[in-house]
Amino acid sequence: MKKDKVSSRRDFINKGVRLTLGLTVVGTGAMALSRRSGGEEYVWQIDPFKCTQCGRCATECVMAESAVKCVHAYDLCGYCDLCGGYFKPGAKLQTGAENQLCPTAAIQRKFIEEPYFEYIIDEELCIGCAKCVKGCSAFGNGSLILQIRHDRCKNCNQCAIATACPSNAISRVAANKPYIIKGHFTNEKEG
Amino acid sequence: MKKRGLTIVVLVIVLVIITVIVVDFLNNRPDRRSANPYALKVEHLKDVDPELISHKETRNLSLGSLKGSALVYAEGKLFVVGDSTLVIMGTDGSEPKQFEIFPGPLSLLVQEQGIFVGYKRYVVQYDHEMKLVKQWADLGDRAVITNLAGNGEKVYVADAGNRKVTIYSQEGDVLGDFEGKSESEAGHGFIVPSANFDLVVNDFGELWVVNPGKHAMENYSDDGRMRGFWENASFDIDGFLGCCNPARITVMEDGSFITSEKGLVRIKIYDQSGQLLSVVASPDLFKEEGKAPDVSCDEKGVVYALDFDRNVIRIFEPKADE
Repeated sequence: MKKDKVSSRRDFINKGVRLTLGLTVVGTGAMALSRRSGGEEYVWQIDPFKCTQCGRCATECVMAESAVKCVHAYDLCGYCDLCGGYFKPGAKLQTGAENQLCPTAAIQRKFIEEPYFEYIIDEELCIGCAKCVKGCSAFGNGSLILQIRHDRCKNCNQCAIATACPSNAISRVAANKPYIIKGHFTNEKEG
Repeated sequence: MKKRGLTIVVLVIVLVIITVIVVDFLNNRPDRRSANPYALKVEHLKDVDPELISHKETRNLSLGSLKGSALVYAEGKLFVVGDSTLVIMGTDGSEPKQFEIFPGPLSLLVQEQGIFVGYKRYVVQYDHEMKLVKQWADLGDRAVITNLAGNGEKVYVADAGNRKVTIYSQEGDVLGDFEGKSESEAGHGFIVPSANFDLVVNDFGELWVVNPGKHAMENYSDDGRMRGFWENASFDIDGFLGCCNPARITVMEDGSFITSEKGLVRIKIYDQSGQLLSVVASPDLFKEEGKAPDVSCDEKGVVYALDFDRNVIRIFEPKADE
């Protein structure tokens, strides 16, 4: 009688373990399938309309080199000679390093045709400090913006920059629309 | 004895942990955070030689709950539009009269022939009793009408979205348009990177249009042929900086220009050749990185500025010794 009781307890444990394993396998499979079929995934992104260019994106990211980079909305840019995002306020309009606003010289200025100049961001040099973004917002039309680059971002469970952001400009957005780019004369968000 | 020592050690550890948490919490308060090492410094651009300042601020007129979007001085009165209202009042804010108009006005022109209110894509014409005369044709999806000017015969509509000026008759018929292009190198065309694109007709009937991307003032014949221009792109006080300045302009009786700038907000006076004459209001009087106030002036040289950031009309009178 006692032997039967021990045997049934062992069976119970065996069945429980098998059930748990089964549920784990089924659950993992279902999760993998849902991801493959485009289920809701989210990534961190900066809303350029809320960003106040505080400089914390350069210092708070857990990556050695911040995943936040300056992005240029070319359709919005005025291609100005006197670019507030490129030149230091009060500087001479010459491309010498002493006149450049970017602390790492990550913006390249290229003459297109009179009177247009193109400004190209070198992401390898950009540290996401937002100095150019501030200059462009203040004196230009805000075509330079900060964005989290998803080829660099580790998509941490809790983004360190989002925690430090004083204007709550960083939040999770749908992974199929991972960027918030300014455009035209409106503040309508584009994917 | 052993137990007592252990208790003391645990208490010290707990105390250290609490101290670290409290110090960290206090240091992370928004007002205690370290300064931005990458801050953009523009303070030095705000310094204006006091000798250059020709006006002093003497009065503010509150607009109350009305969110003003355009201001005009005409016929000895101030005309202001905003929300779905046009307000006509004395220059001291007295006897304000309110009239309901279509919602969303952005610009305003007051002439003998009527009152013209600009919306994003069309113009609405009223008579002086504020009765609707006509809603003019829609300029299309791309249109962003920023300002209006008129010479008594034609109305010029600055369209930032299409980067052109559309010419209308007083009855609202389209007579033509121009994009500021000419055969000379100077006539590149209007460069309008944002919704800041102003124009004005002075007392001599001359049409002047701002080319904001070139920091230029361009003079056109009444059918849109360029006759002359001046430009000054510079960080210095006598120039215009950024992509879109001067954002707003008006003219004085003698043909001098009053310019209003965004970003580093300041109001200045230039002669017809582009020589800086004086500064009406220096940047320290305005919000940092603010919007360019809409400006108008009367026969005595008093400048009325609609400050969008504070939603008040700010009145700048010439200094007594000017």
